[in-house]
Amino acid sequence: MELSVSQCGDVCVVGVRGSVDGSTAAQLQDTVAGQLTGSAARMVVDCTGLEYTSSAGLRALLAGVKECRRHGGDLRLAAVSGGVRRVLDLSGFTGILRIYPDVDSAVSSYAG
Amino acid sequence: MRAERSEGPPAGRGGVTRRKVALVIGAGSVKCAAAIGLARVLSRERVDVDLIVGCSAGSMFAALMAMGRTSDEVAAIAARLWTRELTATRDFRAMLSVVLPRLLGFGERFGMRSDRRVRSALAEAFGDARIEALKTRLMITATDFRTGEQAVFDRGRVVDAIRASIAIPFIFTPAEVDGRLCIDGFLSDPLPVGPAVRDGADVIIAMGFESNYQERIDSPGRFAFQLSSIVTNNLLRSRYAFHNVAHHGEVIAIVPEFRERIGLFDTARIPYIIEEGERATEAMLPHLLRMLEAPVGQAGGA
Repeated sequence: MELSVSQCGDVCVVGVRGSVDGSTAAQLQDTVAGQLTGSAARMVVDCTGLEYTSSAGLRALLAGVKECRRHGGDLRLAAVSGGVRRVLDLSGFTGILRIYPDVDSAVSSYAG
Repeated sequence: MRAERSEGPPAGRGGVTRRKVALVIGAGSVKCAAAIGLARVLSRERVDVDLIVGCSAGSMFAALMAMGRTSDEVAAIAARLWTRELTATRDFRAMLSVVLPRLLGFGERFGMRSDRRVRSALAEAFGDARIEALKTRLMITATDFRTGEQAVFDRGRVVDAIRASIAIPFIFTPAEVDGRLCIDGFLSDPLPVGPAVRDGADVIIAMGFESNYQERIDSPGRFAFQLSSIVTNNLLRSRYAFHNVAHHGEVIAIVPEFRERIGLFDTARIPYIIEEGERATEAMLPHLLRMLEAPVGQAGGA
């Protein structure tokens, strides 16, 4: 798994490439937690390169969502591919997460 | 798929302790034959399974695998076992009791079809085999009809546990096992990952199936099936979500996608169903193998 962090205005964008599982989930969770300073509780996880997430990855995402919301912000997903979308659907996460087709729409969703 | 019953932590290649693997086969009528495709892939990749959990029709496939039957044998037995003939014998007295409950009596052991053929088919396939004596550890889940709790059978006669697990509401009577009156396992959890979590599995391969929605509702039966599908699919998601969050390790969901509509007893489609099971497993295989290679003790992450 490869992670990248960039800033779009006051929104922090975390890009995830590869696979999130038990061996990499902690890294994702730590990266998200590390960005939770000041206004950076507004976060977008760019899933363009995300190939797979196991239950450990789902737990990391959920922990990130809870932390962001606890800080008055949110964690929103962008560009979720078919396989990952299916896992999110099956686990009911699509009912509690906001998901957007691309990073631009996810970032601009915070403006509304 | 290789698996042997053993005590203590499982030994991996080279004597290194490996991760404990469980296979869960959920409810899904004949679609559960997709588990044969899954087993073929696991066998080819020499993935050892320490525990198999089965629910509803999935319990038959789970039991056959736990007995050590080959994939081809399981497919052949399933085609003979899971046929429309199972529900062919109507229980007219039970059907009349729906409209005349006071006259004919109505109770908790209600079912509109005789289970004689089911019991006979199960006896032919499993004989007197006992769960605790099978090659691989097996758990079969059903639902306690009186309390709604999940019932987990890890010992006793295979046929009794399966009969309880496939007690389709309205069709077959609930079945009594060890003093518990049980009904179909899907009613408490269509994809029973819980017993595998409780058993301490590090990696849980969970093959589940979504229930079809009716294309048209033109009979009370289809109306009932539609209600059942709505409840089952929502229960599948909510239970799966809970187990994902609660489990310390990894749960890998394998949910085959069927382009063709599969009927309850569509045994003619078994070859196609197996293919889809194999295809869905292949798609998850790189992730599964990576998890199995992770060192023991490395938690499932966050």
